[in-house]
Amino acid sequence: MVDQGSSSAPRVHAKDLTFAYEPTTPVLSGVSLDLNGGEMLFVLGANGSGKTTLLHLLSGGLKPNGGSVQLAGEATELLAPRELARRMAVVPQSLDGVSGVHVLRFVMGGRYAHVPTWGSPSAEDEAAVQEALEQADASQFQDRMMGQLSSGQRQRVLLARALAQKAPTLLLDEPTNALDPEHQVAVLDLIQRQAQSGTAVLVVTHDLNLTSQYASRVLLLAGGRVAAQGSPEEVLRPEILTPVYGSRLWFGAFPDSGRPIVLPRGR
Amino acid sequence: MSTRPRSLLPIWLLGLSALVLLTLGQVAIGSTGRSTWAEALQAVGGVLGWGDPLPGADQAIHELRLWRALCASLAGAALAISGVYLQGLFRNPLAAPGVLGVSAGATLGATLAILLVGGYGPELLLEGTRSWTPYALSFCSFLGAVATVALVLSIARGPGRSDAATLILVGVAVNATLGGIFVAIQALVLDDWAVAQAMLAWNFGTLRDREPYHVGMILVGLIPALLVIPRAAFALDLFAGGDTDARRLGVSTRSMRWMVVAVASGATACAVSAVGAIGFIGLVVPHITRSLVGSGHARLLPASALVGALLLPTLDLLQLGLMGRAVLPPGALTALLGGPFFLFILLTQTRERSW
Repeated sequence: MVDQGSSSAPRVHAKDLTFAYEPTTPVLSGVSLDLNGGEMLFVLGANGSGKTTLLHLLSGGLKPNGGSVQLAGEATELLAPRELARRMAVVPQSLDGVSGVHVLRFVMGGRYAHVPTWGSPSAEDEAAVQEALEQADASQFQDRMMGQLSSGQRQRVLLARALAQKAPTLLLDEPTNALDPEHQVAVLDLIQRQAQSGTAVLVVTHDLNLTSQYASRVLLLAGGRVAAQGSPEEVLRPEILTPVYGSRLWFGAFPDSGRPIVLPRGR
Repeated sequence: MSTRPRSLLPIWLLGLSALVLLTLGQVAIGSTGRSTWAEALQAVGGVLGWGDPLPGADQAIHELRLWRALCASLAGAALAISGVYLQGLFRNPLAAPGVLGVSAGATLGATLAILLVGGYGPELLLEGTRSWTPYALSFCSFLGAVATVALVLSIARGPGRSDAATLILVGVAVNATLGGIFVAIQALVLDDWAVAQAMLAWNFGTLRDREPYHVGMILVGLIPALLVIPRAAFALDLFAGGDTDARRLGVSTRSMRWMVVAVASGATACAVSAVGAIGFIGLVVPHITRSLVGSGHARLLPASALVGALLLPTLDLLQLGLMGRAVLPPGALTALLGGPFFLFILLTQTRERSW
């Protein structure tokens, strides 16, 4: 991974982000975060806590009412879409309207920012697409249409497209939602390898136990504010999670690693 | 499928040869009778300055047929490629140029100009007295088209919104309004047969009495639409996932949208100002072509232009060949054949449509 911008500035630096769809009900107020290369930051929060909005603000899809987002020291709003796409790849939770698109052509979409404005994809772009498909364990269905894939396969193709972007920052919106357990850990292993090779990774998720095992840092949102931030051990604790998720939780620990386990507790 | 498409060169050569043959056929067959291939070739050669033209009026008749043929194929190409552009941009298979009001606007623009030419307005344009009258007519038609698209898009909150349902509903409303104005004007001028007939020609298109400048006018709109294919094709592929997704991948969605709307409306407006409103081409041809070459715009855009260029002259030639003369205006032909054919496609397409 190529490091861009000044080495001292964090890959993503968000300061005092405030956002409201309607003026009276702020979705986010005063959220700040730093994301560095090699890091896996997991963003947790109850439904409606502003996780997805935060992702939109970080990726430039929404403009904050207050505060700013900088990528390697440069304000996001000053970057052209192509430049932004070369610096940051986003894996959306799902995508409508693409069911008639060939998987291979879909993943090639990740190369748009690398293809000259008046040009077409080169052999290098095709190689990057193949590499990304293999990394995401998706090359076996590259000749199908998006609409013919299961939701888990679709998720891996979405991931492959983001990898094809070869951006030093990767944002993922609930990447394991549609996946079976085996593919959940496979996808997170893959994302972890990306982080280990220098990519800055931010994952928005509801999965507390995958967070516990993969996060290098956890940020907990509640009511549009940062409720807690720290290592999984520091954040995934009863006194911190109960005010956010309610009291019907069971807390334990993985026997080997000692990392926390948090399960919803039925009656 | 490979992202680097397998060579389509043979198919292109086949298509272009078919186009040349079709054009020659149209020069040979007209409502005033049939001539031989050799005569047709000689007439075309005469136009190009490659040999002696046919004697006297014969050459003039064949030249008229040639302009008719070129207008038909170029307008077919322009309408078809506009359809692909708009359907891709608005992620909607119904977003044909007609739906956006381009055709209705162009027709109304021309109608208002004819009113002035016909002496119904202040004497801005007088019938036949100025050499630029026909050009002014086409120009007014173009203005009408552009103004209508601007109106539809701004009511649907600008092209910044790709809410296709809103856009199409706005298009339907604006189309109905313009259609009402058109019929009202027509009702008022029915006494003046020549003026009423000229207006009717704009409403269903006409390929009669076309001249070289009509061909040139269509090219003015078609050429930019063809030239921006390499710039727009990849980006249009990405619009399938929506604007947010396209922007995240690096598409400058706003400027891309303006560019595509501009070239698509421009191509339609120029075509309509040259041959009048010819419906269904912009709707049907993209669907036919998609089933042939897939939904990737790098292939779909040029291929649609070719299919459009083949379809309209084929319909025209069929009519001439079967009935001996051009009874129906081209817009009526495309509607009569295109409508049922479109239904047929919709009913037989079991797979999810890959637009």
